[in-house]
Amino acid sequence: MKIDHSLPLEYSTEENKLKILGFWVFLGAEIVLFSTLFAVYFTLQNNIGNGPGGSHIFELTPVMIETIVLLSSSFTIGLGIHAMRLGNKKAMMTFFGITLFLGLGFLGVEIMEFFTYVHEGATMQTSAFLSALFTLLGTHGAHVTFGLLWGGAILLQVKKRGLTPETANKSFIFSLYWHFLDVVWIFIFSFVYMKGMM
Amino acid sequence: MKELFPVPHVIGFVSSLLLSLIALVVIKFDLSFGMGMTILGVTAIIQACLQLFLFMHVGENENKTALLTNIGYALFVGLVTIFGTLFAMMWGYQMI
Repeated sequence: MKIDHSLPLEYSTEENKLKILGFWVFLGAEIVLFSTLFAVYFTLQNNIGNGPGGSHIFELTPVMIETIVLLSSSFTIGLGIHAMRLGNKKAMMTFFGITLFLGLGFLGVEIMEFFTYVHEGATMQTSAFLSALFTLLGTHGAHVTFGLLWGGAILLQVKKRGLTPETANKSFIFSLYWHFLDVVWIFIFSFVYMKGMM
Repeated sequence: MKELFPVPHVIGFVSSLLLSLIALVVIKFDLSFGMGMTILGVTAIIQACLQLFLFMHVGENENKTALLTNIGYALFVGLVTIFGTLFAMMWGYQMI
Protein backbone atom coordinates (compact mmCIF):
# COMPACT_ATOMS: atom_id res chain seq x y z
CA MET A 1 0.00 0.00 0.00
CA LYS A 2 1.42 3.35 -1.05
CA ILE A 3 1.27 5.97 1.65
CA ASP A 4 1.64 9.61 0.70
CA HIS A 5 3.10 11.36 3.74
CA SER A 6 2.52 14.86 2.38
CA LEU A 7 -1.23 14.45 2.94
CA PRO A 8 -3.18 14.06 6.18
CA LEU A 9 -3.47 10.39 7.21
CA GLU A 10 -7.12 10.10 6.18
CA TYR A 11 -6.24 10.98 2.56
CA SER A 12 -2.89 9.19 2.50
CA THR A 13 -3.77 6.22 0.28
CA GLU A 14 -5.69 5.91 -2.98
CA GLU A 15 -8.28 3.74 -1.21
CA ASN A 16 -8.74 6.36 1.49
CA LYS A 17 -9.30 9.13 -1.05
CA LEU A 18 -11.89 7.03 -2.87
CA LYS A 19 -13.67 6.18 0.37
CA ILE A 20 -14.01 9.86 1.23
CA LEU A 21 -15.31 10.67 -2.27
CA GLY A 22 -17.70 7.72 -2.03
CA PHE A 23 -19.02 8.97 1.27
CA TRP A 24 -19.77 12.34 -0.29
CA VAL A 25 -21.81 10.53 -2.95
CA PHE A 26 -23.74 8.87 -0.10
CA LEU A 27 -24.30 12.26 1.54
CA GLY A 28 -25.72 13.47 -1.79
CA ALA A 29 -28.30 10.69 -1.55
CA GLU A 30 -29.00 11.68 2.06
CA ILE A 31 -29.67 15.28 0.96
CA VAL A 32 -32.30 13.93 -1.43
CA LEU A 33 -33.78 11.63 1.24
CA PHE A 34 -34.26 14.51 3.67
CA SER A 35 -35.58 16.73 0.86
CA THR A 36 -38.42 14.27 0.24
CA LEU A 37 -39.27 14.30 3.96
CA PHE A 38 -39.23 18.12 4.00
CA ALA A 39 -41.45 18.13 0.90
CA VAL A 40 -43.95 15.86 2.67
CA TYR A 41 -43.86 18.03 5.80
CA PHE A 42 -44.36 21.31 3.91
CA THR A 43 -47.27 19.77 1.99
CA LEU A 44 -49.05 18.37 5.05
CA GLN A 45 -48.17 20.94 7.72
CA ASN A 46 -51.59 22.62 7.66
CA ASN A 47 -53.58 19.37 7.69
CA ILE A 48 -53.93 19.22 11.46
CA GLY A 49 -57.39 17.59 11.59
CA ASN A 50 -58.66 17.60 15.18
CA GLY A 51 -55.13 17.62 16.60
CA PRO A 52 -52.93 20.52 17.70
CA GLY A 53 -50.95 22.63 15.25
CA GLY A 54 -47.24 23.40 15.35
CA SER A 55 -47.65 26.68 17.19
CA HIS A 56 -49.48 24.82 20.00
CA ILE A 57 -46.98 22.04 20.64
CA PHE A 58 -43.58 23.54 19.75
CA GLU A 59 -41.69 24.89 22.75
CA LEU A 60 -38.68 27.12 22.43
CA THR A 61 -36.58 25.87 25.37
CA PRO A 62 -36.05 22.21 24.35
CA VAL A 63 -35.52 23.25 20.73
CA MET A 64 -32.83 25.75 21.70
CA ILE A 65 -31.14 23.19 23.96
CA GLU A 66 -31.13 20.65 21.12
CA THR A 67 -29.76 23.24 18.68
CA ILE A 68 -26.97 24.44 20.97
CA VAL A 69 -26.01 20.89 21.96
CA LEU A 70 -25.86 19.71 18.34
CA LEU A 71 -23.94 22.78 17.15
CA SER A 72 -21.45 22.26 19.97
CA SER A 73 -21.03 18.59 19.08
CA SER A 74 -20.32 19.58 15.49
CA PHE A 75 -17.67 22.00 16.79
CA THR A 76 -16.05 19.40 19.07
CA ILE A 77 -15.84 16.77 16.31
CA GLY A 78 -14.22 19.44 14.11
CA LEU A 79 -11.66 19.97 16.88
CA GLY A 80 -11.27 16.18 17.09
CA ILE A 81 -10.30 15.98 13.41
CA HIS A 82 -7.95 18.93 13.89
CA ALA A 83 -6.29 17.14 16.84
CA MET A 84 -6.09 13.96 14.76
CA ARG A 85 -4.17 15.86 12.10
CA LEU A 86 -1.77 17.06 14.76
CA GLY A 87 -1.26 13.39 15.66
CA ASN A 88 -2.64 13.98 19.13
CA LYS A 89 -4.53 10.74 19.79
CA LYS A 90 -5.52 11.59 23.34
CA ALA A 91 -7.02 14.98 22.43
CA MET A 92 -8.73 13.44 19.40
CA MET A 93 -10.35 10.74 21.53
CA THR A 94 -11.40 13.29 24.15
CA PHE A 95 -13.08 15.49 21.53
CA PHE A 96 -14.80 12.49 19.92
CA GLY A 97 -15.94 11.37 23.36
CA ILE A 98 -17.42 14.81 24.12
CA THR A 99 -19.12 14.77 20.69
CA LEU A 100 -20.81 11.44 21.38
CA PHE A 101 -21.80 12.57 24.87
CA LEU A 102 -23.41 15.71 23.40
CA GLY A 103 -25.12 13.54 20.77
CA LEU A 104 -26.56 11.44 23.59
CA GLY A 105 -27.75 14.64 25.31
CA PHE A 106 -29.44 15.75 22.09
CA LEU A 107 -31.25 12.42 21.79
CA GLY A 108 -32.33 12.57 25.43
CA VAL A 109 -33.92 16.01 24.98
CA GLU A 110 -35.54 14.93 21.70
CA ILE A 111 -37.04 11.81 23.30
CA MET A 112 -38.37 13.94 26.18
CA GLU A 113 -39.87 16.28 23.59
CA PHE A 114 -41.61 13.37 21.84
CA PHE A 115 -42.96 12.16 25.20
CA THR A 116 -44.36 15.63 25.88
CA TYR A 117 -46.06 15.72 22.47
CA VAL A 118 -47.65 12.32 22.95
CA HIS A 119 -48.70 13.29 26.46
CA GLU A 120 -50.43 16.36 25.00
CA GLY A 121 -52.35 14.09 22.61
CA ALA A 122 -50.11 14.77 19.60
CA THR A 123 -49.28 11.26 18.38
CA MET A 124 -48.14 10.08 14.98
CA GLN A 125 -51.70 8.89 14.23
CA THR A 126 -53.42 12.15 15.22
CA SER A 127 -53.05 14.11 11.99
CA ALA A 128 -51.20 14.25 8.68
CA PHE A 129 -49.15 17.15 10.08
CA LEU A 130 -47.97 15.07 13.04
CA SER A 131 -47.25 12.00 10.88
CA ALA A 132 -45.02 14.13 8.66
CA LEU A 133 -43.42 15.85 11.67
CA PHE A 134 -42.58 12.63 13.52
CA THR A 135 -41.27 11.04 10.31
CA LEU A 136 -38.93 13.96 9.61
CA LEU A 137 -37.71 14.37 13.21
CA GLY A 138 -37.59 10.61 13.75
CA THR A 139 -35.46 9.99 10.65
CA HIS A 140 -33.00 12.62 11.84
CA GLY A 141 -33.03 11.18 15.38
CA ALA A 142 -32.48 7.67 14.00
CA HIS A 143 -29.45 8.95 12.12
CA VAL A 144 -28.07 10.46 15.34
CA THR A 145 -28.70 7.16 17.17
CA PHE A 146 -26.87 5.23 14.46
CA GLY A 147 -24.08 7.82 14.62
CA LEU A 148 -23.63 7.19 18.35
CA LEU A 149 -23.09 3.46 17.74
CA TRP A 150 -20.83 4.04 14.74
CA GLY A 151 -18.81 6.74 16.50
CA GLY A 152 -18.48 4.59 19.61
CA ALA A 153 -17.12 1.70 17.55
CA ILE A 154 -14.60 3.99 15.81
CA LEU A 155 -13.48 5.37 19.16
CA LEU A 156 -12.80 1.81 20.37
CA GLN A 157 -10.77 1.07 17.22
CA VAL A 158 -8.70 4.22 17.60
CA LYS A 159 -8.06 3.30 21.24
CA LYS A 160 -6.93 -0.20 20.24
CA ARG A 161 -5.05 0.44 17.00
CA GLY A 162 -3.98 4.07 17.32
CA LEU A 163 -4.08 6.61 14.50
CA THR A 164 -3.42 4.64 11.31
CA PRO A 165 -4.45 5.52 7.73
CA GLU A 166 -7.49 3.23 8.24
CA THR A 167 -8.70 4.55 11.59
CA ALA A 168 -7.99 8.17 10.58
CA ASN A 169 -10.00 7.63 7.40
CA LYS A 170 -12.92 6.14 9.33
CA SER A 171 -12.84 8.97 11.86
CA PHE A 172 -12.79 11.61 9.14
CA ILE A 173 -15.73 9.99 7.32
CA PHE A 174 -17.64 9.81 10.59
CA SER A 175 -16.99 13.53 11.12
CA LEU A 176 -18.50 14.24 7.68
CA TYR A 177 -21.60 12.27 8.67
CA TRP A 178 -21.90 14.15 11.95
CA HIS A 179 -21.53 17.59 10.35
CA PHE A 180 -24.15 16.56 7.79
CA LEU A 181 -26.62 15.73 10.58
CA ASP A 182 -25.97 19.17 12.01
CA VAL A 183 -26.77 20.74 8.63
CA VAL A 184 -30.05 18.80 8.48
CA TRP A 185 -30.87 19.95 12.00
CA ILE A 186 -30.26 23.60 11.04
CA PHE A 187 -32.95 23.24 8.36
CA ILE A 188 -35.31 21.47 10.77
CA PHE A 189 -34.69 24.21 13.35
CA SER A 190 -35.37 26.98 10.81
CA PHE A 191 -38.15 25.60 8.65
CA VAL A 192 -40.00 23.37 11.09
CA TYR A 193 -39.64 24.97 14.52
CA MET A 194 -38.96 28.67 13.85
CA LYS A 195 -41.41 28.77 10.94
CA GLY A 196 -43.97 26.85 13.01
CA MET A 197 -43.70 29.31 15.90
CA MET A 198 -43.65 32.37 13.66
CA MET B 1 -3.54 23.49 24.51
CA LYS B 2 -4.01 26.56 22.33
CA GLU B 3 -3.10 24.68 19.15
CA LEU B 4 -6.07 22.37 19.79
CA PHE B 5 -8.50 25.26 19.31
CA PRO B 6 -7.79 26.74 15.87
CA VAL B 7 -9.19 30.26 15.44
CA PRO B 8 -11.29 29.55 12.28
CA HIS B 9 -13.12 26.72 14.10
CA VAL B 10 -13.84 28.89 17.13
CA ILE B 11 -15.06 31.75 14.91
CA GLY B 12 -17.19 29.28 12.92
CA PHE B 13 -18.75 27.90 16.09
CA VAL B 14 -19.51 31.32 17.57
CA SER B 15 -20.98 32.49 14.24
CA SER B 16 -23.26 29.47 13.99
CA LEU B 17 -24.53 30.12 17.54
CA LEU B 18 -25.08 33.79 16.66
CA LEU B 19 -26.92 32.86 13.44
CA SER B 20 -29.25 30.60 15.45
CA LEU B 21 -29.96 33.52 17.78
CA ILE B 22 -30.58 35.85 14.82
CA ALA B 23 -33.12 33.31 13.50
CA LEU B 24 -35.03 33.83 16.78
CA VAL B 25 -36.08 37.34 15.69
CA VAL B 26 -38.75 35.75 13.48
CA ILE B 27 -40.62 34.51 16.56
CA LYS B 28 -39.83 37.44 18.85
CA PHE B 29 -40.97 40.18 16.48
CA ASP B 30 -44.10 40.43 14.38
CA LEU B 31 -42.62 40.13 10.90
CA SER B 32 -44.40 39.46 7.62
CA PHE B 33 -44.28 35.87 6.30
CA GLY B 34 -41.97 36.81 3.44
CA MET B 35 -39.57 38.71 5.70
CA GLY B 36 -39.47 35.88 8.23
CA MET B 37 -38.80 33.23 5.59
CA THR B 38 -36.06 35.37 4.06
CA ILE B 39 -34.28 35.71 7.43
CA LEU B 40 -34.61 31.97 8.09
CA GLY B 41 -33.41 31.10 4.59
CA VAL B 42 -30.36 33.35 4.78
CA THR B 43 -29.28 32.26 8.29
CA ALA B 44 -29.78 28.56 7.45
CA ILE B 45 -27.81 28.76 4.20
CA ILE B 46 -24.91 30.63 5.82
CA GLN B 47 -24.78 28.03 8.60
CA ALA B 48 -24.87 25.16 6.11
CA CYS B 49 -21.99 26.76 4.15
CA LEU B 50 -19.99 27.19 7.37
CA GLN B 51 -20.32 23.49 8.08
CA LEU B 52 -19.59 22.48 4.51
CA PHE B 53 -16.52 24.58 3.82
CA LEU B 54 -15.04 25.08 7.27
CA PHE B 55 -15.74 21.83 9.12
CA MET B 56 -16.18 19.37 6.28
CA HIS B 57 -13.10 20.65 4.44
CA VAL B 58 -14.73 20.55 1.00
CA GLY B 59 -12.12 22.87 -0.46
CA GLU B 60 -9.07 20.77 0.44
CA ASN B 61 -10.23 17.59 -1.29
CA GLU B 62 -8.30 16.94 -4.49
CA ASN B 63 -11.52 15.73 -6.13
CA LYS B 64 -13.05 19.10 -5.31
CA THR B 65 -14.80 19.52 -8.68
CA ALA B 66 -16.36 16.05 -8.61
CA LEU B 67 -17.40 16.62 -5.03
CA LEU B 68 -19.01 20.02 -5.60
CA THR B 69 -20.75 18.73 -8.75
CA ASN B 70 -22.16 15.86 -6.70
CA ILE B 71 -23.43 18.16 -3.93
CA GLY B 72 -24.76 20.62 -6.50
CA TYR B 73 -26.64 17.82 -8.27
CA ALA B 74 -28.03 16.49 -4.98
CA LEU B 75 -29.21 19.99 -4.03
CA PHE B 76 -30.80 20.40 -7.45
CA VAL B 77 -32.72 17.12 -7.12
CA GLY B 78 -33.65 18.00 -3.53
CA LEU B 79 -34.92 21.50 -4.35
CA VAL B 80 -36.85 20.27 -7.39
CA THR B 81 -38.42 17.60 -5.16
CA ILE B 82 -39.44 20.16 -2.51
CA PHE B 83 -40.61 22.98 -4.78
CA GLY B 84 -42.04 20.60 -7.39
CA THR B 85 -44.09 18.91 -4.68
CA LEU B 86 -45.27 22.27 -3.32
CA PHE B 87 -46.13 23.38 -6.86
CA ALA B 88 -48.09 20.23 -7.67
CA MET B 89 -49.76 19.77 -4.27
CA MET B 90 -50.33 23.32 -2.98
CA TRP B 91 -49.67 26.29 -5.24
CA GLY B 92 -51.09 24.70 -8.38
CA TYR B 93 -54.57 24.50 -6.83
CA GLN B 94 -54.50 27.99 -5.41
CA MET B 95 -53.63 29.48 -8.79
CA ILE B 96 -56.79 28.13 -10.43
